[in-house]
Amino acid sequence: MGVSAPLLSAAGVIAAVVAMMVDGRRAVAIAVVFLAAGLAPTAATFVGAPGALVLGGCAVAAVLLAWAGWLGGRVLPWLSRLDPTIPAFAPADRLFGPRSSRAFGAAVALPVASWVSFNVPIGQIATVGGLLFPIAYAWTCGVIRLLVARTVEDLAVAVAMVGIATGTAWLLRSGNDSFPGAVLACVAAPLAAFLAGWLNGRSSRRAGRVIDVEA
Amino acid sequence: MSPLVIAAVWLALGLVSSAVLRRRTARLVALVPLVGVGLTLLVTRSSTAAVPLGGLTGITGLDRTGEGVLVAAGISMALVVLFQPSIDVSVGRAVGVVGAAATVAMASSDPLVTALALTAAVATLVLRWIGQSPGKATLAAGRVAGTGTAALIAASPFLPLTGFTTGARPVVVGVLLATGVAALLAVYPLGGWAAGVIGALKPAEIAPWLVLLVPVVLIIAERIPGGNLGGGTPVYEHVLLVVGLGSAVWGGLWAVRGRTAMRYGRVFMVDIALCAAAVEGASVSPAVTGAMIILLTHLTLAPILLRSEDAGLRWPRRVAWALLSGVPPSPAFWGRLLILEALAAGNVGSTIAAVIAMGAIFIAAVMACSTTVRVFPEQRWRTRLPDLAAWMLIAIGVAVGLAPQSLAGFVFGH
Repeated sequence: MGVSAPLLSAAGVIAAVVAMMVDGRRAVAIAVVFLAAGLAPTAATFVGAPGALVLGGCAVAAVLLAWAGWLGGRVLPWLSRLDPTIPAFAPADRLFGPRSSRAFGAAVALPVASWVSFNVPIGQIATVGGLLFPIAYAWTCGVIRLLVARTVEDLAVAVAMVGIATGTAWLLRSGNDSFPGAVLACVAAPLAAFLAGWLNGRSSRRAGRVIDVEA
Repeated sequence: MSPLVIAAVWLALGLVSSAVLRRRTARLVALVPLVGVGLTLLVTRSSTAAVPLGGLTGITGLDRTGEGVLVAAGISMALVVLFQPSIDVSVGRAVGVVGAAATVAMASSDPLVTALALTAAVATLVLRWIGQSPGKATLAAGRVAGTGTAALIAASPFLPLTGFTTGARPVVVGVLLATGVAALLAVYPLGGWAAGVIGALKPAEIAPWLVLLVPVVLIIAERIPGGNLGGGTPVYEHVLLVVGLGSAVWGGLWAVRGRTAMRYGRVFMVDIALCAAAVEGASVSPAVTGAMIILLTHLTLAPILLRSEDAGLRWPRRVAWALLSGVPPSPAFWGRLLILEALAAGNVGSTIAAVIAMGAIFIAAVMACSTTVRVFPEQRWRTRLPDLAAWMLIAIGVAVGLAPQSLAGFVFGH
């Protein structure tokens, strides 16, 4: 039974938009889970269950490592002065905030991804309409999120988005090295989740100490 | 010895040094690059250069040039650490990760492995920089250099280009690779982040990027057109030629106009932009040799010029600036002459742009030489040690100027 390419694209686009907009201390894990869920149908359609398994494993690893990093950050004594959710600088008040610029970026990414999808063949597969669209869209959104980042958490979400999108592209290119390549590219996402979780754990412990002292 | 083992040692020593060392023993951080250099000399040498345009083939090995770059960069990094008046031990972590990443990137023929190694290096540096000085400049490093590594990662599934040497695919790959290289080498319009970081942080914080990462990325960038890039080759070369020359001219103007403390960083960026433009736009022998000589000159003089001005070394600094000025027989003169020769073989526009940039470097060097800084002289022998070491480096710089091709060949192979 054939699967509708627009349906696959829609799943990827929705996932990428969620990853683009999500904020907060669990942003990386949420972005990874949504992206893995959104791109897994594309991967499963073209390389079968193992493709979906790679992305599913990546999502599970990201959630576990984010939690482990948070726990480690709270327990271990090494001090980090960096809170990943606090903007590294305070821009002047503007009409459009960071989410507005991300939404604009997500809209701009549509024609870019569309062009890539229809013009750039990948691996041994010839150009097929819509094949690369969700992947190119997720990657472009990741880069735009990187370019408009204000916090370390934003940078980590962007790295995770780029890693998962590239991992799915490796799955689609087929050949002997597609699975190892996909796993290698996807590793960036759990590592970003771990790092963000670690920094969150450190800063939440420090915040707790400050409250205790003030009390 | 495998490059992976060497990278693992860099990484382990970097992490251990930042966890174990204290303020009194901070200078032992220099052991991280020195041990890395020692092991790199024992590497099992590969007869072919690793060009990261293949499939997922893993680590192929270090060739003579790669080994030479890593050894020279490692020694320079150790000297930068030893020359600093004070060192934060946690910089050892950044040195270790960047050294490991540089080793893996230099030895890998796989674009994904190379891109991930460079991503790890950039992520480590950016986190450190943002932690040290949160602000627009350090965040921009994450944004732009991160975009560069993301572009390199994105190019990996499209490689190798066997059977796809024409059409949109090689062009997209060429644009992605050029973006990645330009962002990591801090070539304008993707170079503002480096200028900001140089102005916002201490020299020792920037050194892992400047001394360890840039030479490796430059060598990789030089090798890329030699691989199978098909229709992407002219795109890649022309993009880097144009942005490199533009960056050199713009950076040269800022090297003259900018703050004294940022002058060396600016001059370094101009020289790297010139090298990138020349080796990509005129990939003939003089350009590559010239780039090697300039690289060797900077690796020799960076430990002196990355030490803050008010921390002594007044006369060695002046002589170091003279060696960078481009006046014959300084090593920079020979390097820039070869680059100019290669660019002149292309077109007159490139030559004019390069001459303007080189003129700006000369003016910046003269201004740096004439700057008077108040230094309180101390006669204790311990404070004289940096002076002695600096004069030894100056002697090496003079030797490079007297026998540029022989010494560049000795370090990087022929």
